[in-house]
Amino acid sequence: MTKSQGWLALILALAIGSVLVLRSLPLSLGLDLRGGTQLTLLIKPAGTIKKIEPTKLEAVKDVLERRVNGLGVSEATVTTSGDDRIVVQLPGVQDPRRAAEVLGTTAMLEFRAQKPGTEQEMTGLMRLKRLLEAKIDQLTGTGKAASVQDDSLKDLLKTLDIKISAEASELDQLKAILLDTNRRIVSLFEPPAFTGTHLIDAGRQQQQNSQAWEVTLRFDRVGGDEFAALTKSIAGTNRLLGIMLDGRSISEASVGPQFATAGITGGAASITGQFSAEQARDLEVQLRGGALPLPVEIVENRSVGPTLGAENVRNSLIAAILGIVLVGIFMVVIYRLPGFVAVLALCLYALFNLAVYALIPVTLTLPGIAGFILSVGMAVDANILIFERTKEELQDGNSLFRSVDVGFSRAFSSIFDGHITTLISCAALAWLGTGLVRGFAVTLAVGVLLSLFTALTCSRTLLRLVLSYPALRRPEFFLGSPSQP
Amino acid sequence: MTSSSGALLREPSFRINRYRRFCMVLTVFLLFISLLGLMLSWLSPIHAPLRPGLDFTGGTLIQVERICSPACKSFSTEELRKDLPSGAVVQSLDSGKAISVRTAALSPAESGAVVESLDRLLGPIQASGTQINTIGPLLGSQLLRSSLLALIVSFAGIAIYISLRYARLYAAMALMCLTHDVILTTGLFAWLGLLAGVEVDSLFVVALLTIAGYSVNDTVVIFDRIREQQQVLPNLSVEDQVDRAVAGTLKRSFYTITSTILPIIALILFGGESLYWFAVALLVGVLIGGWSSIGLIPPLLPLLGGKLPNRVSANTAELQA
Repeated sequence: MTKSQGWLALILALAIGSVLVLRSLPLSLGLDLRGGTQLTLLIKPAGTIKKIEPTKLEAVKDVLERRVNGLGVSEATVTTSGDDRIVVQLPGVQDPRRAAEVLGTTAMLEFRAQKPGTEQEMTGLMRLKRLLEAKIDQLTGTGKAASVQDDSLKDLLKTLDIKISAEASELDQLKAILLDTNRRIVSLFEPPAFTGTHLIDAGRQQQQNSQAWEVTLRFDRVGGDEFAALTKSIAGTNRLLGIMLDGRSISEASVGPQFATAGITGGAASITGQFSAEQARDLEVQLRGGALPLPVEIVENRSVGPTLGAENVRNSLIAAILGIVLVGIFMVVIYRLPGFVAVLALCLYALFNLAVYALIPVTLTLPGIAGFILSVGMAVDANILIFERTKEELQDGNSLFRSVDVGFSRAFSSIFDGHITTLISCAALAWLGTGLVRGFAVTLAVGVLLSLFTALTCSRTLLRLVLSYPALRRPEFFLGSPSQP
Repeated sequence: MTSSSGALLREPSFRINRYRRFCMVLTVFLLFISLLGLMLSWLSPIHAPLRPGLDFTGGTLIQVERICSPACKSFSTEELRKDLPSGAVVQSLDSGKAISVRTAALSPAESGAVVESLDRLLGPIQASGTQINTIGPLLGSQLLRSSLLALIVSFAGIAIYISLRYARLYAAMALMCLTHDVILTTGLFAWLGLLAGVEVDSLFVVALLTIAGYSVNDTVVIFDRIREQQQVLPNLSVEDQVDRAVAGTLKRSFYTITSTILPIIALILFGGESLYWFAVALLVGVLIGGWSSIGLIPPLLPLLGGKLPNRVSANTAELQA
């Protein structure tokens, strides 16, 4: 009996430990239960890189992590998934538009000088660009509705040899021309003198006497020197300094003649595009996080509102409790006293399961809870095999103690086999799975492993404990159903 | 062996092999119906054995809840479509209280715009009840590939395990049993897809794999019983062995199936919309798995085996010690 008492002590200790764990460590709920957004970003091979190396994957993850921190979403997580995917979870975020914008762009900053001898073309293109932007604003009704002189736009289009056909809508054509204009502006700049890798910090401030914001930059030593050299080379000329973001010119500025001797020194600069407060903030976050080493694409977006999440929690909780209650009633009706013991073991099983979820930690998702609920049914399967076997032994006229013991030991091999095959499926699922699928596989696997322990150890120990009371040591409590041969 | 063998010696009260013809006819019939469903689905406009859901085709599904007080504003789907991306399919759920819109895959900015136009046209909508799911088309085809791969891997894993623990014949039987279960479950969902528009998503694959892992349980119990009997009664015919094993384990198989489907029924009743078809697939799969372990494999064993492999592996004895 001492061995059995040892087991009893262990089970009690585990139960108390589980309660303590659950009191101190909260269960982490997945986004489908608490509401929020999950974005999956696929890293795309670019240039010479055909396959995403693990180091590149980590590098992209680091950048995204810094950007996510910059977004200021509490408890956000960034994890890698597979060889080329990154999953960003943003609890509480319902409208992922801003996050998608900030996370999905490469944010490659380039500093370029204008090519010599292109001054005239540049002036024309810049004027066209401003007129186009104003006109598009006017047509979409988002701008300040400053009326644009159509004549000057038309003249300019004519001199630059750009035609407007009557077929497509005016707005679409203007947008296409603007895109082309931007491309032409970029082509007037020399290859980048240096890039955003030399940035050590970024900030933002509102421009004086203006609604617009500017983004301030600070370079490291090399970047500072490069910036000074670049500005020196074009100071006093009519050539412009272009700052490009992902191949798009976001700022063009001339450098005054006073910088002709040393360039702009001090390792600081600012981008004075016409930024809104929000645009400036997003660019700051992106620049602080650094450029992504490889371009990414958002391939999956799951957003769940918080009330829907709460509803999911309520539904699955009801289903779980009802599942346990139904199984409990079934066991007591079929097996009487051992059935009652099995229900106790089942409660311990549920408790241990939750504690393991909190310890690992397993993030509970809706399919995850389904896995748990399903494992409840499978957990009692083991008890059924054991008790059926015990009944058989009793019917053969064996003593109660012996029948129970033989029941446990003889049922073991088929219980073990059945659990292993389920675990094999779980392993295949976890290996295949991303996100939701893996959540199910993990909870089912934890459940199956724990059920081996509770069915074989807890039920057995508790049953022995029950048998130590002579009043309960009556075969009819075990045989249950009255129709015996 | 320390155990008494009285239970094993008793005459079986039920002989499955007496119903062999019935079992076989039923199996062939069920397989035929299932394959017919898969084929009809392929020939129908669905053009696939099962009606693929968002997870496989890629696309965006947006669902919003309307605030309906005192009553929901009526709206025309035609009007709505004008403001939505082309090809959008609008569905009214819960008698107009919720609206779902399905389109090709949208960027987060585009989905946000759809939610805004829904708010404008049908509003007000409950912001906290909005659900957006976007799956890129690339992901869908990847999922299909990895699902099939996972299914094959888990089948192979289970077959290898059983051939190590029992014998190759049993492994082949278990594999047959798994294939049968998967065909019948997918067949049912092919019919559901044809007749009721039910789609399969990644959770359906999860259900199939779970069924595969679980349905072997009952079969293994019977194998285990046969192995045990062979030690006590080595001279019985194969048919007799199988009959005894089935009769001896019938009740426990019935009970374990019941105890497994009880929580699944709770899930069907209360688990909510997103788990409904998943739970139905599990329920069906467990029932089919139960049937195949009693009505498919045992009647086949005497026909195929001639003699059962009499292998009492050492590890079994260890496990029982």
